[in-house]
Amino acid sequence: MTSALHAVDLGKRYGRKWALSSCTLDIPTGHVVGLVGPNGAGKTTLLHLAVGLLSPSSGSLTILGEAPASSAEQLGHIGFVAQDTPVFENLSIATHLQMGAALNPKWDAQLAQQRIYELGLDPDQRAGRLSGGQRAQLALTLAIAKRPSLLLLDEPVASLDPLARREFLATLMAVVAEHEVSVVLSSHLVADLERVCDYLVVLASAHVQVNGEIEELLSTHHRLVGTRRDLDNLPDSARVIEVSHTDRQTTAIVSSAEPILDPAWSVEEITLEDLVLAYMGQAEEQRRDLVRSKGGAK
Amino acid sequence: MTWFAWRQFRVQAAIVAGLLVVVAVICLFTGPHFASLYHELKTCKAKGDCQSLRNSIFNGYNTYFPFVQAFSLALPVLLGMFWGAPLIARELESGTYRLAWTQGVTRSRWVFTKLTLVGGASMVAAGLMSWMLTWWASPVDTLNADRFASLIFDTSYITPIGYAAFAFALGVTAGVLWRRTVPAMATTLVVFLLVRVPFFHFVRPRLLAPVRVVRSLKNVGNIGFERTPSGVSFVAGDTNLPNSLSFSTSVVGRHGGEVTQQWLHEHCRSLLQLGSPAPGKGVKVTTGIRPKAFTACIDKISTTFHQVLLYQPPNRFWTFQWIEMSIYVVLALLLSALSYWWVRRRIA
Repeated sequence: MTSALHAVDLGKRYGRKWALSSCTLDIPTGHVVGLVGPNGAGKTTLLHLAVGLLSPSSGSLTILGEAPASSAEQLGHIGFVAQDTPVFENLSIATHLQMGAALNPKWDAQLAQQRIYELGLDPDQRAGRLSGGQRAQLALTLAIAKRPSLLLLDEPVASLDPLARREFLATLMAVVAEHEVSVVLSSHLVADLERVCDYLVVLASAHVQVNGEIEELLSTHHRLVGTRRDLDNLPDSARVIEVSHTDRQTTAIVSSAEPILDPAWSVEEITLEDLVLAYMGQAEEQRRDLVRSKGGAK
Repeated sequence: MTWFAWRQFRVQAAIVAGLLVVVAVICLFTGPHFASLYHELKTCKAKGDCQSLRNSIFNGYNTYFPFVQAFSLALPVLLGMFWGAPLIARELESGTYRLAWTQGVTRSRWVFTKLTLVGGASMVAAGLMSWMLTWWASPVDTLNADRFASLIFDTSYITPIGYAAFAFALGVTAGVLWRRTVPAMATTLVVFLLVRVPFFHFVRPRLLAPVRVVRSLKNVGNIGFERTPSGVSFVAGDTNLPNSLSFSTSVVGRHGGEVTQQWLHEHCRSLLQLGSPAPGKGVKVTTGIRPKAFTACIDKISTTFHQVLLYQPPNRFWTFQWIEMSIYVVLALLLSALSYWWVRRRIA
């Protein structure tokens, strides 16, 4: 089976700065993938590489088995909603739909019109006069009516108010349920992703920190709480992601395929948010160490 | 794709079309009248009638020239600024390229379609404008007998098509390099002028080797002397070559050399003693008011000196039109190729 997104050692450099570096990912189809990371982590870069707006500086990337934007047909398989959901301000909603019909061979005109109707939008209204939420919905409609096999969304809800955010994600979930479409959705907020995603990629400091199915990630990551001490006696496969000490107590977030049986630790389940924050914290710590060591060398 | 490229371009196209309609109305309302005046002039007998006909033709055109001619002269660069520069820059600037280039159409085709559609429209618009002006102004252009003059050569016939193609491609290129519309428009204007002005000044007269003619100074109008701070110098101004592009004129002696102060001092002593205008004013003495000493000196000069003319003759007019248009079209194609390549490879 072909992967939705298959990257090997993928990197993108702007001048001397790597926006994305040594990214190796293999995301199977059929998932709703949350791509999470702090601002500037490389999420947009990765998505733009995936849709062919950018070309890699190193490594390789295939989307549904083909190079991004290699042909009109390939572009037709991908629905893309860019950050801040750009639309043509001077053109009406109806013209946007006509554009979709003219430029996409698999365009589903009925679906598009139905959605605009359900959203209560006037087709003659200029896109520049829509609210943020309505514009996002229009952008999503354009992406969905292409009948893509893979839907890529770059921070689609970041600028929306909570109500519009909820409606947008609800629409997205309805689409996923109705049409068999894989989704990659980026956000810097875990809360947005928690409800809709079943697969997670954490991107921070231009590197993939962790990725996998959420259920599996949650079952292989544990929060250990015990009296203050060093973290030895853990199984060989265990990796410590984050550790914090108070005067009396040590708390650690650990990745381990094997169960932690040491009775000295009380093992707790971990939330998705904690997991993401632990990996983002680890990346940030490494970044600071790097900066400090460079500074020290001077 | 063509439909959508046209849809995005519609408003800009309508504005220019509106301006062309205004020009067309002016031409259609006044052109036949001027043509009939010209026809009368061709057949007029009485000298006074002819002069008044001439005057009414010139005065009539002068009412509209500031608008019509200036518009034809400016149209190419305006098209470059308002059609070319925003063509891709606006998509990049507003972020809509992320929507546009992720539809089921490759980026290459998107750019190619826009380049050909709007670029073609630029050439058509400039061509229409030029065609209207050429038709409308043909009586006065014939009377002026100066087809190589910049205001005629550059605004009529086929050169405007080349300028429009060039300005458009320049605008597109500036747009993709800047990725912003306003600086791209400014760049288009500046670069266009930096190419166009030196081109017509220095390159055009040299496009073909000029014809060389040596003729007697007796046939030359507007001949005389000019008082300069250092004395008096000889002037032979008017080339009197209708519909030609003068390259250079000079007065050369039979054995080489020019009419120098020294020569005048030796041969035209009486001339130098003339009562004359205030020194340093450089007032010209023309053949119309020649005193005896003047005529005598001109005759002396004519026996040993000739006027040497280098110029492009009238029968080269169309050759020059074609050469100049082709050069600008080739520049346009090169710039288009550059911006096409840049969008494909560098904006990534």
